[in-house]
Amino acid sequence: MENQTKGAAAMVGGFFRALGSFFSGFGTAVAKGDIFVKLSLLWWGAGYVRRKQYVKAVIMTALEAAVILFTIFFAMDYVPKFGSLGTVRAEKVFNPQTMKSEFNDYDHSFMILLFSLFSFVVWFAAIIVLMKNTMNVYKLQLMDESGEHINTFKEDLVTYIGEKFHITLLTLPVLGVVVFTLVPILLLIFVAFTNYDQQHMPPSELFTWVGFTNFITLFGGGGLTATFGYSFVRVLGWTLVWALFATFTTYIGGILLSIMLNSPKTRLPKCWRTLFVVTIAVPQFVSLLLVRNFFADSGIVNTICKEIGLTGFLHDIGLVSTNNLIPFLSAPGWAHVMIILINIWIGVPYQMLIATGVLMNIPSDQLESAKVDGAKPFQIFVKITMPYMLFVTGPALVTDFVKNINNFNVIYLLTQDVYTTTNQALANSQATEVDLLVTWLFRLTQDYYNYKMASAIGIIVFIICAVFTLIAFNFMIKGDKEGTYQ
Amino acid sequence: MKKKFLSMLLCATMVATMATGCGSDAGDNDGGASDKKTDNASSETVKLTLWGAEDDQNFLKDVVSKFEAKYSDQKFDIQIGVESESSAKDTVLKDIEAAADVYSFASDQLADLVRAGALTNIDEVGEALSKSGKTLDDVKAEHAEGAIDAASVDGKMYAFPTSQGNSYILFYDSSVISEEDAGNWDTLLAAADKSGKKVGMTLNSGWYNASFFYGAGFTTGLNADGTTTMDWNGTSPSGYKGTDVVKSMLQITSDSAFKAIPDGKISDNIKSGDYCAVISGTWDAGVAQETWGDGYAAIKLPTFTVGDDKVQMHPAYGYKLEAVNAYSKNAGWATLLAEFISNEESQAAHFKSGVQIPTNKKALEDPSINENAAVTAILSEAEFGVVQEVGGKYWDPAKTFGEMIAKGTLKAKDDKKIQEALDNLVSGVTAPLS
Amino acid sequence: MKIRKMKENRTSSIIIHNVILGILAFIWLIPIVWLFFTSFSAESGINTNTFFPEKWSISHYIKLFHPDTVAQFPQWFMNTFVVAVVTCIISTLFVLMVAYATSVMRFPMRKPLMNIAVILNLFPGMLAMIAVYFVLKTFNLTNSYAGLIMVYSASSGLGYLIAKGFFDTVPRALCESARIDGCSEARIFFQMVIPLSRPIVVYTVISSFLVPWMDFVYAKMILNAGISSKYTVAIGLYKMLDKQLINNYFTQFCAGGVLVSIPISILFVIMQKFYVKGITGGAVKG
Repeated sequence: MENQTKGAAAMVGGFFRALGSFFSGFGTAVAKGDIFVKLSLLWWGAGYVRRKQYVKAVIMTALEAAVILFTIFFAMDYVPKFGSLGTVRAEKVFNPQTMKSEFNDYDHSFMILLFSLFSFVVWFAAIIVLMKNTMNVYKLQLMDESGEHINTFKEDLVTYIGEKFHITLLTLPVLGVVVFTLVPILLLIFVAFTNYDQQHMPPSELFTWVGFTNFITLFGGGGLTATFGYSFVRVLGWTLVWALFATFTTYIGGILLSIMLNSPKTRLPKCWRTLFVVTIAVPQFVSLLLVRNFFADSGIVNTICKEIGLTGFLHDIGLVSTNNLIPFLSAPGWAHVMIILINIWIGVPYQMLIATGVLMNIPSDQLESAKVDGAKPFQIFVKITMPYMLFVTGPALVTDFVKNINNFNVIYLLTQDVYTTTNQALANSQATEVDLLVTWLFRLTQDYYNYKMASAIGIIVFIICAVFTLIAFNFMIKGDKEGTYQ
Repeated sequence: MKKKFLSMLLCATMVATMATGCGSDAGDNDGGASDKKTDNASSETVKLTLWGAEDDQNFLKDVVSKFEAKYSDQKFDIQIGVESESSAKDTVLKDIEAAADVYSFASDQLADLVRAGALTNIDEVGEALSKSGKTLDDVKAEHAEGAIDAASVDGKMYAFPTSQGNSYILFYDSSVISEEDAGNWDTLLAAADKSGKKVGMTLNSGWYNASFFYGAGFTTGLNADGTTTMDWNGTSPSGYKGTDVVKSMLQITSDSAFKAIPDGKISDNIKSGDYCAVISGTWDAGVAQETWGDGYAAIKLPTFTVGDDKVQMHPAYGYKLEAVNAYSKNAGWATLLAEFISNEESQAAHFKSGVQIPTNKKALEDPSINENAAVTAILSEAEFGVVQEVGGKYWDPAKTFGEMIAKGTLKAKDDKKIQEALDNLVSGVTAPLS
Repeated sequence: MKIRKMKENRTSSIIIHNVILGILAFIWLIPIVWLFFTSFSAESGINTNTFFPEKWSISHYIKLFHPDTVAQFPQWFMNTFVVAVVTCIISTLFVLMVAYATSVMRFPMRKPLMNIAVILNLFPGMLAMIAVYFVLKTFNLTNSYAGLIMVYSASSGLGYLIAKGFFDTVPRALCESARIDGCSEARIFFQMVIPLSRPIVVYTVISSFLVPWMDFVYAKMILNAGISSKYTVAIGLYKMLDKQLINNYFTQFCAGGVLVSIPISILFVIMQKFYVKGITGGAVKG
């Protein structure tokens, strides 16, 4: 139970405590260690040589050599240029003899940024290794002094499938995340503070640092187009509305569908369930592009609606401006509603599966006693089912909300190339009414090469998600059940 | 024991990949910077990639094999990929260095590509052409008037023209509409109304809707910094007011016989059989012919009425150009290949395979060109068609503006709103690049 | 009398209940049915006039298996299959490894790592895409399946939560007694926890196998040489809907969509069983 009240602050606090003890451990090692421990700061293998762990000494020395070589031959080509992001522009001369263009040794701003960052990560890791190494060596010294047994290399290796098995398990996945998620994210945080855009595109042009200019532009501080700030607010508004509706409609829909499917009245429940599951098995790019053509202005649904007179009726009550077609995906309002409806179509079967799993575990005694007390199905749903679902899937609900804020596929596949805005202010900033922040930043990068603004928007998206998550977790039951159920 | 070994193996491979990874990119970088080593060109295989539109794949295969035959003492490895001319810029600018050595693109992308430094200045590599026995001046002289200009920025040539007439004309069903009626929007719409059929045009695209403004003498242009200039919210040199042009457009769109077709949906709509006239390009000639049979006809764009005047619409008139990537590893051979694709023989073959109208003067003399109604109509527009010079910021605002007219968001009576919309359009289009 | 009425009531409510389900299923299946029927149309463009094709034909399926420069379906299928198999192996290993380490083992960096994972998941992945592209480019991995596989699987460790939830329910006492018996952690992992966690293993395998079949954004970015025979199914089909191609290839797109959906549907139907079990196991026990 304490876990539930423990908020984010505690998480952060714990992190700093751990950090503090790490540094003090290192300090002690350096202060109290013998000469070999101190020497280990320079030559990583020193301490191991002293304790006769020669294989380890070789490995650490090789690692150190690798870091040094990396620094000299790789990092030094880029890191010194990190401050300016390059100064030498690409120039070339054509050599008719070789039939090739000869380039000068030009700077590529993006590569400088990327490789500098990469070097920082490597150096950061090297420092951690260095500190950890020193502490290890100090521990060996202590063990040696008190006459304890010092592991042979083979015994050390065995610990990697024993008490240090987590290191074996986590090394590769963490490395993967660092290279393919962490470094890219850090990189784009940096890009938000540069002027990397269509006028400054490597390799032909250089870009450089500009401080907070992009964020000022984003919040309407002029510079770009006067409408950028306006567009940002509009797009943000729809993003939040969308995320709210998309999350709750599919969530409730999923629970209701799952209750219906699991009801004793249902004949052949597995058959029904399979039918619904099939709809999500069709890849989204197929099903959504199909639905888009289905509801297109000249699509099949419009033809049918016109034939049965629905279009005319909607026109008469003023919902549609022409009596030719219903602008399902081409007019604001209509498109917004349709997108949410289509998302229900896609999302409910997923939520149904999750809900089915959870509902199976509702303590049946509660349901029985409620029935005995004469509770109506609706009352049972509100009083027992929902609270239980919220208790169990609350954290998942928060993650779903964040996922919907970043839900690229649905919006992009349904509206790209189809939806044309008639709002000039939005059009002047390359946005539309139905854009989410992510689809907007995707278009900014893909069609307008405006990487700096896209990155700035990305950071804002992150902050929104982070704030929301923190608040939600503080209000709701925290997703930390591990202690409770083990 | 086995599992322990496995985990060790995993670690080892990881270290190895890290090491080789770092090693190779350091090496790569050196390679990029010191391309100066002088290899003997003829002994090494020249690797080139070539991008072209889907429909041109077979044509390109033929051209490449002829090219290889012509320079048979040189070994080639030429790969052909699919990239449509209309989207070439988007793909190329994502990573110029990874783009094809030679690729085809529409002339309206030229400015952006040049600004990004993606194109080789042909004047600088002109010497490479000596292998083909021509000089660059010979090549320039081979092409019809306007083609080289369309491939040049600030007097520097950046690509080889391969075809012209990337434009639009009026296709109509002559069993419903007479040639005379097809000459003017008012008569055209009246005739269509009588037959109960529609006239269609795409308005939500800056490529199509600009034809009204260009016709009235308005212009777009490019500044040295890459921003677009636009005067549509004022009065044109020919003395027409922007608001009046919009009003004429609204006059047309409000006609019950007119239907605005969303961008890219024209062929679908022709097929539906609801139309008796449609504005589109040569690529829809086949569909139109199929739908209207013997009635099929093509003619230059109609005139429209501004005030009391009848004003000829001036379409955007584009070229297709063959680019040499500025970062090509084999710039010389790439130039030769690009030139080869644009030479007389290839252009003639391209006309036969894909109805691409030649820019080469000799290829243009082919009598079969005049037998094609759509091509004749397009070529009749060459004299007043406008090579559209716009930057990337043009398209979205222009698209929205067209959509506003198509959807009737603007009303012909509301001068103030129209002026406001035009001002918004101009401010969006002329905004700084980023 | 009364009893009979109640029974009638019950049957009628059962009928109503199932009819409602039927209507819902019908709504849910309309687009899929449309996809299926359209794929048998003789027309190659979009049919906007009628729900069912006017003329029937299987010619577009035949065309799919007779590749032209645009459509090389059998080749794409093979490419995607290879990518999917390798992705599946790596991802599954990564997910299970991270899940085990965070669930069963206790070490000082455990909490911080888990918190970092939460934070990383909050960044919009789209944004990191361009940087990922350049990372791959420096390793010379663009336009290669190795690059694609890395993108799909390298960060898969971040999706460990469901599997961790499941491992959490494996009784700790079992592991403890095994440790006392001198089993190494590796043995506990491979010989006890994994066999006890079949639902979640199957779930992870299938869901990671499906990723390459569904993704078109990353694939489009990484396989950017324009060589159609190197595409995966997703980009191949996606490109068929290009403005220039849609009128000739829409029905082929539908046919391709059906063919891809069949194996995926089968996997999904298998997976849903394990998914429900996995979630159940992960959520709460008792």
